[in-house]
Amino acid sequence: MGISISAAGSLFNRAKNRTAEIDGEFLLKVFAVGLVALPLFLFVLYPLIHILGRSFQTADGLGLENYITVLGTRRFFLLLYNSFAVTLLTTGITVFLAYGFAFATQRTRVPGKNVFRLIALIPLFAPSLVQAQGLLLLMGRNGIINRTFGTEYSIYGFWGIVISSVLYVFPYAFLIFSASLAAADNRLYESSRILGAGPFRTFMTVTLPSTRFAVMAATFVVFTLVITDFGNPMVVGGDYNVLATEVYNQVIGQANFELGTVIGMVLLLPVAAAVAIEKVLNKNHYGLLSEHATPMVIEPHHLRDGFFAVYVTLICLCILAVLGIVIFASFTHLWPYRLDFSLRHYAFDVQNGIQPLYNSIYTGLMAAGIGVTATGLAAYVTERFNTFFDTPLYFLCIVPAAVPGMVLGLGYIMAFNNPSNPVYAIYGSLLLIAICNVYYYHAQGFLIASTSMKQISSTYDEASAILGGTFIRTVRKITLPLMWPTLLGVAVFFFMRSMVTLSAVIFLMTPSTQVAAVSVLLLEDRGAVNQAAAFSVCIMAVVVSVLLVARILLNTFGHRHISLIR
Amino acid sequence: MSMKTISKSLLCFFFGFALIVGFAISETRASEITVYTSYEEDEAAAFLAAMQKDLPDIKVNLLRLSTGDLHARMLAESANPRHDVIWGWAVTNMVDPRILSMLESYRPKGIEKVPARFRDPQNRWFAKTGYMAAFCVNNEILEKKNLPMPASWEDLLKPEFKGEVVMPNPASSGTGYLQIASILQLKGEEDGWQYLKELDKNIAQYIKSGSRPCNVASAGEFAVGASFALRAIKNIDEGYPITMVIPAEGAGNELEATALMKTSKNKAAAKRFIDWTLSENAVNEYYKWKEIVTVSGGNMPVSFIEAGLPEDIGSVMVDMDFSWSAANRDRILKEWQTQLER
Repeated sequence: MGISISAAGSLFNRAKNRTAEIDGEFLLKVFAVGLVALPLFLFVLYPLIHILGRSFQTADGLGLENYITVLGTRRFFLLLYNSFAVTLLTTGITVFLAYGFAFATQRTRVPGKNVFRLIALIPLFAPSLVQAQGLLLLMGRNGIINRTFGTEYSIYGFWGIVISSVLYVFPYAFLIFSASLAAADNRLYESSRILGAGPFRTFMTVTLPSTRFAVMAATFVVFTLVITDFGNPMVVGGDYNVLATEVYNQVIGQANFELGTVIGMVLLLPVAAAVAIEKVLNKNHYGLLSEHATPMVIEPHHLRDGFFAVYVTLICLCILAVLGIVIFASFTHLWPYRLDFSLRHYAFDVQNGIQPLYNSIYTGLMAAGIGVTATGLAAYVTERFNTFFDTPLYFLCIVPAAVPGMVLGLGYIMAFNNPSNPVYAIYGSLLLIAICNVYYYHAQGFLIASTSMKQISSTYDEASAILGGTFIRTVRKITLPLMWPTLLGVAVFFFMRSMVTLSAVIFLMTPSTQVAAVSVLLLEDRGAVNQAAAFSVCIMAVVVSVLLVARILLNTFGHRHISLIR
Repeated sequence: MSMKTISKSLLCFFFGFALIVGFAISETRASEITVYTSYEEDEAAAFLAAMQKDLPDIKVNLLRLSTGDLHARMLAESANPRHDVIWGWAVTNMVDPRILSMLESYRPKGIEKVPARFRDPQNRWFAKTGYMAAFCVNNEILEKKNLPMPASWEDLLKPEFKGEVVMPNPASSGTGYLQIASILQLKGEEDGWQYLKELDKNIAQYIKSGSRPCNVASAGEFAVGASFALRAIKNIDEGYPITMVIPAEGAGNELEATALMKTSKNKAAAKRFIDWTLSENAVNEYYKWKEIVTVSGGNMPVSFIEAGLPEDIGSVMVDMDFSWSAANRDRILKEWQTQLER
């Protein structure tokens, strides 16, 4: 499907460049590769190397002793099994549910799509801690369900983690599928219909294959998010321990960096494997949206639309129930004993008061700016340059997904809290927290950008190149105009994650740089559950307001059709 | 030219970056100290407000983290510590040799008010407050399930409490460690471990934080949460239907110590701050918030007594051997993890 022609074109083009004139373009490309790679080395690999070194550090010099201590126990294999059981099931459920949801919002005529879309994304607006808490308020031993029906069902353990993790990662998978399903070439569907294929056959032979990259990307993102998450297992796991909670336990509870870093290293392995598999399977993908593509036309279909309307409503109800109950609890006098209305949890009579919220907003804005520059450039370089560096660079870009936030945060302390390191100049500032957030979420931002970049046929670029456009000009005239909605989405993504993330920043914050999500944790720790909920509601309000402002700006400038969160 | 445009925008980018960096650095002022503490958020805020009245010229940057978090952080930062003072942090953690080596000997004004057994012979730390173990028992659940009110650790072994008791994980929680250390010290190691194994059959969950067992018992998730007294008092204050029970065998306890860092960049201000922590105003403030105050002075608040705390707190406290707790911490945790961790 044009792939050989494109490849030949690009080869021809490169050959021509090399032999004819050196116009600085090659140098510029090398410069761009460096611009992507260097910060990743500095802010991801360098701290990781410090952590890795620490994992080999024993009482008597360097050695494998820590690894033997950890890997030689039965408990380790139990944790490994638990981690995989929870993660695989969660990944399966999430990918299946989110695909269906994205299909409903992009390929059917379900009414109120925008509302459903927004609801599906709500979990992104809240710290994940609060989601697990909502699940407990709803389904805990003294949760609303047990209280109402007089039952004694306990959500703690395996299923609690699975349910809360599905809720936590659902929006990530949904965003990837949604971006992928949004791009469609109507000609393919028309041909399929003309050739007599029914809707199911069309789905299996046209829709599914064209989104298989998204399926893999989503599987990969969900898998790594779940296996490295410690928030949900901590709150609803009870005694069901997983590798990520064990890292927390070793590092926080016992100040045992060596063993903690060993398990951190163990967590890196399955992710590296996932990346390798995905890369091999995807070797021959090509852009779906060619220059001849015509926009998708969706005909009404009562059975299909009815089915999906029920489907999305059910999922939205689950999401709303879990978050709604937290919001509700924040306005009660004393959940679950006195349910009368009270604003007393919004007084924020804590040390630093409401200041952490402002810190978070400032950090979020910085993270959005740095994040969109870093991941946008990274996606462009890996997708379009066709250089020797593509694969290593791609790997470098998604490595952060394998790093538990806590491990990254600890790595930052070990690497940068050192006056002889130039980064020390910003140590203890909100800027370093912003940078940490960017590189913690780098893989996800990068995948959103590159998924959408893949679907813009590279023939555009080649056409531009053949017509004599330089790479800069191609970026400015072709790629950016096509990409900017995605890039805006990436910026919003980084802002949102920065507002709610917890694990990476907990080690980096200083008295003057406390952020809002940490306040939630501190309040939660102190037992002020309702106040913690109230603070979370404030965080969600900020995120939603920023989205609204961005939406209004877009609409004013005539981009009503562009979806903001991608 | 496009090259020019790109270099221009790159330049803008870097200038913007540099500007933010510059803005971020220009934040330090004189007579400013950084203090790390594990006092609960609300008590720390109250103490600090009182301190600010007495020492208005010192700006204190306070970082509040739980005992374990703070331990990890200080060790991680040990190459270049960020703080001047450790204030109100578990003695059991303070005597970790890796921490001790970072501390400077200092005899603050009024140190003679602190009994000698509550301070380091080499004057590297002293403890003026502390906390003790207590159960939070949910009245609603007791009534609904017709359970007796437990009065002691021994009572928790009763079969009817099966699946209704939660306890902190001693490996991650300081409160959890003080609880099992007190049991082992009271009963002796052999009987102590035997008891813990029996208790394990009734434990629903080992929870990673020391205050959360009380919070989940308050929320009605479990009947009994082994936690610490102040948490119980505060939750009763909040209106939760719980009873605070101090185990009849005696309450394990932990002291919160203060120390000066060798690496402090502003020792004069740091010392003034530490002197203040022993002043009369400070001690009065401690009495409003802490169940254990090692310096005589104020009176226990009414809410403490109403919650069931005896006025002579020494009568219910286990006489803890902190140096034993500290020296055997690694061994006990290892034992606990191989025998009981889930």
